[in-house]
Amino acid sequence: MNNSPSDQDKRRTFCKVCIGGFTVASAGAVTYPVVTFMGQPVHFSANKPLEVPLEELTVGQAHYAEFQGQQIILLMTEKGPVVLKASCPHLGCNVIWNAADSIFHCPCHGAVFDDSGAVVSGPVSKELAQLPFEIKDGKLIVT
Amino acid sequence: MIKRWLQNIYEWFDQRYHITPLLEENVTKKMVPRTLSWASCFGGLALLIFLVQVFTGMLLLMYYKPHPQTAWDSVTFIQSNVPMGWLIQRTHAVGANLMIVLVFMHMARVAYYKIFRAPRELHWVSGVILALLTTTLAFTGYLLPWTQLSYWGAKVGTEIPGAVPVIGEQIVLWVRRGPNISGETLGFFFSLHIWILPAMISGFIAMHAVMIRRTGISRPL
Repeated sequence: MNNSPSDQDKRRTFCKVCIGGFTVASAGAVTYPVVTFMGQPVHFSANKPLEVPLEELTVGQAHYAEFQGQQIILLMTEKGPVVLKASCPHLGCNVIWNAADSIFHCPCHGAVFDDSGAVVSGPVSKELAQLPFEIKDGKLIVT
Repeated sequence: MIKRWLQNIYEWFDQRYHITPLLEENVTKKMVPRTLSWASCFGGLALLIFLVQVFTGMLLLMYYKPHPQTAWDSVTFIQSNVPMGWLIQRTHAVGANLMIVLVFMHMARVAYYKIFRAPRELHWVSGVILALLTTTLAFTGYLLPWTQLSYWGAKVGTEIPGAVPVIGEQIVLWVRRGPNISGETLGFFFSLHIWILPAMISGFIAMHAVMIRRTGISRPL
């Protein structure tokens, strides 16, 4: 064995680079899946239009559904269907349909809305947000 | 530059807490008997897998919902919708099997070389308790996805203590939290699986390790 010091140094550097490389690669191989796992999960229903057959909607009955991660209300009134966000514009509680009086009632601070989402009384100045929809082949489609 | 900076941080701690002698004594300058073979690693590998199980288990808890109506859905959700969820879930499931295999390989080696003799009798006793805790952990975890397999697995498994004379029936009722495998059983197994058993196993692992450090590793005569 007649290694010159420079040969030994080369081997030493080679080993260091290999060990360092493997360490970084393994750390990455563990970190990447863990970090992505903690990210936002894919909801397959997201960005898909919500379709409800019209015969499922009876006049005077509120139909609650989830659309793009938020609660919405499909309501069939005598004037036609209405689609509203269930979240009260005051502090975001979900409003409850009262079929007897044809009003929405917020359980948190008592706001009251009529069947088109307009404010009747309570600590709010904004009406319930309406969502665009269309009617096609006997189905109500929220887009 | 960064190296110098890290060096300074290390020295700051070292001056105060004397880390270097601790590291030298336990890691960098610790000699293992020359006669040990790779087979001596089974115990340490079982510990490593236990740590992997704790870590992946904590991740799975972010999405798992322990209720008969939601358990299966949440596991399916992890497998198909959570990014890398399939990997974490599979690692946890495969790791459980691997941990049992390693624990029993470790046990077989200790038995074959008669390492359990004095002064290491209690190493063996704590090891047997650890083996039982490991299998119980695997058994309770098996029910959690609430599939047909896990349901019937739990059903058959919890019937076994029924063979105990006189009090067998009572044990079965107690383990199942009722006459059948139900949501109560799921909740009970869940609490056993994520808290009670891991806490117990950690305690016994600590005892096992301290005992090994006190007596030293056994070497062939």
